[in-house]
Amino acid sequence: MLKKRLIGVVTVKNGRAVQSFGYCRYLPLGTPEFMVENLDRWGADEILIQVIDRSVSGLGPDLSLMKRIGELGLETPLAYAGGVRSAEDGIKLVALGADRIVVDTLLRADLSSVKALASSLGSQALVASLPMRYSGNQLEWLDYRTSCTTAVTDDVLKVLDSKLISEALLIDFEHEGKQGGFDMGLIGAFPIEGMQIIAFGGISESRQMKALFCSPRVAAVAVGNFLSYREHAFQKYKNALRESPLRPATYRKVN
Amino acid sequence: MSRVVVGVVDYGLGNHASLIHCLRDLGFRVHLSADTTELNRTDILILPGVGTFPAAMQGLQRLNLIGYIQKQAGRHHPVVGICLGMQLLTSFSHEIELTAGLDLIPGVVVAIPKGKWHIGWNTLVCTNGDPLFQLSDGLDFYFNHSYCYFGPENYQVCVTHFPTPFSSVIRRGNVVGIQFHPEKSQDAGKELLRSVIMGLVDA
Repeated sequence: MLKKRLIGVVTVKNGRAVQSFGYCRYLPLGTPEFMVENLDRWGADEILIQVIDRSVSGLGPDLSLMKRIGELGLETPLAYAGGVRSAEDGIKLVALGADRIVVDTLLRADLSSVKALASSLGSQALVASLPMRYSGNQLEWLDYRTSCTTAVTDDVLKVLDSKLISEALLIDFEHEGKQGGFDMGLIGAFPIEGMQIIAFGGISESRQMKALFCSPRVAAVAVGNFLSYREHAFQKYKNALRESPLRPATYRKVN
Repeated sequence: MSRVVVGVVDYGLGNHASLIHCLRDLGFRVHLSADTTELNRTDILILPGVGTFPAAMQGLQRLNLIGYIQKQAGRHHPVVGICLGMQLLTSFSHEIELTAGLDLIPGVVVAIPKGKWHIGWNTLVCTNGDPLFQLSDGLDFYFNHSYCYFGPENYQVCVTHFPTPFSSVIRRGNVVGIQFHPEKSQDAGKELLRSVIMGLVDA
């Protein structure tokens, strides 16, 4: 049986791993490499590294960071988000060590590049990042570049529904970093029925994760800040989630 | 330390960094190359791959590697395909457009039913007692694909359920295809990779 995944998220700003609170307040944690290595050792099911200042500043993906992370020789699947502008960017990131590419601004700026990415890397390697809030019975989609929200356009909905992208990283941006904050209403309101969801933003409690894993629409839960508050957080979450369809906690062999 | 030399075929697609690191960690010497002279100095060839089938075959064709890999397999030189690399070993694929493969293991690559993606950790079930995979029976490995192998059952070594069984490992003599990513499957993946490489090289 295919297991659901518990994903560890490392948020990077100005080259440093940070704790993020609603994508507006940050606390430094250390080097991204150190954080990623920890998640690899703790047996995360997948690691997501999101570099949040690349799209806003138009710098493109952080290839030098990806190179350093690739050289760590991670044994855990790695997804990269931040500043991806083209299919060429995606191919470079994969060659450097990323297994999957997360697109965000590209969904607003250039849907033809999203299609080109799917043609080169395959839809299984593509994830759509959708920072959302559920307000007044409708979904609002945040544009990081302007800090404004809009409705998801028909063109984007069409791409999401066209099987060019395999999963949606559904981010509760308002509650991101807040304990127990994830708005479960987002899951039911997400309009693309056949698309699997990675839930992220304010998910800190195992009972909340358990509820999310009960949803057939949720393939994975992603956790960021809350992994930094205690040692072996992954194993502790997994042990508390024994009844959920997850891979059991693993403990890396010491050579 | 093992003296086995692994040739990783560089055809422009794939996450080479993780695979090379994993192989070196296991004690193997690794040559990443598209140069046949360089690849001739290896004990085993690995075809990695993240991408689409047509793009990968175009890459192999551009580098004149199709005939080379077929010839090496014909000489019983071990060849291992990982993920997309496994699919390239087959006769042809329906991904995007009908594209011929290396035809080292008869069979075709078809979309997973209902347009599904198989992404995440799933269990390996060994079906034919192949000693290279026995230690991995019942363990979880990381998959990321939306197409899978369909072919004669005698080439099927392991299956995985999603929810119906599909071939997750195929083998024809010294040619082995692995649908999941052992290099991204933590300790279980490393052990499997060691067993496959040592088993094929020592055969």
